[in-house]
Amino acid sequence: MTNREDQSRRVKELIVRRLKLDVDPLSIENAAPLFGEGLGLDSIDALELVLGLEQEFGIKVEDEEVGVKAFASVDALVDFIEQKQNA
Amino acid sequence: MSARLPHGYPFRFVDVVLRERDAAFTSGTVSARVTSNGRAAMGEGWASPLLLVEALAQSALLLEGGDADIGRRGFLAGIEGFEAERAPRAGETLRIEVRLAGRFGAIVRFEGEVYGDRARLARGAIIVRRGEGSPTTPG
Repeated sequence: MTNREDQSRRVKELIVRRLKLDVDPLSIENAAPLFGEGLGLDSIDALELVLGLEQEFGIKVEDEEVGVKAFASVDALVDFIEQKQNA
Repeated sequence: MSARLPHGYPFRFVDVVLRERDAAFTSGTVSARVTSNGRAAMGEGWASPLLLVEALAQSALLLEGGDADIGRRGFLAGIEGFEAERAPRAGETLRIEVRLAGRFGAIVRFEGEVYGDRARLARGAIIVRRGEGSPTTPG
């Protein structure tokens, strides 16, 4: 498993665990939108993901604008995490 | 207090800011006096421990240092992991500890505890949707 695949798996597990979703983490598509269509998450879920990223990845989401882009999909979230970890 | 909180008697469940929040809102403390003639009281105390959730929400709003209009346009959006031992009794002075757990845009999560005269009465988290306005940032 590549590092990116591992990050994707961790992100999916984080989403399912923090939001208490009744889905198999592996069933979440990497490119599928997390909000609206796709998983149908809302702004309260977004706050939970912000807290999850901080607690489990040590990454802060500075503002809403950044968060909205980062939470577009699992792929976008992995990109965001990698960017933060490499900064 | 009226400038910072839209709630009035009989639906105000906080009285005095004991300790203002710090800049990062690590914590802040509010007190509330439970009286037997309050609307929420049913003779000997608050009618429901759920009013402790409202007290926590009002404390958070008060400590946020916003203006009453923000509170008027905002609302309590969620309750998480809230546990109450019992409802407060008339004559008790409550101490409400609140801290900011996180925010994303207008959605804010606070965590806190409510203490009675002798012991903790409740603990948990609330999620608030802030109203629009121009909050001040104390500290």
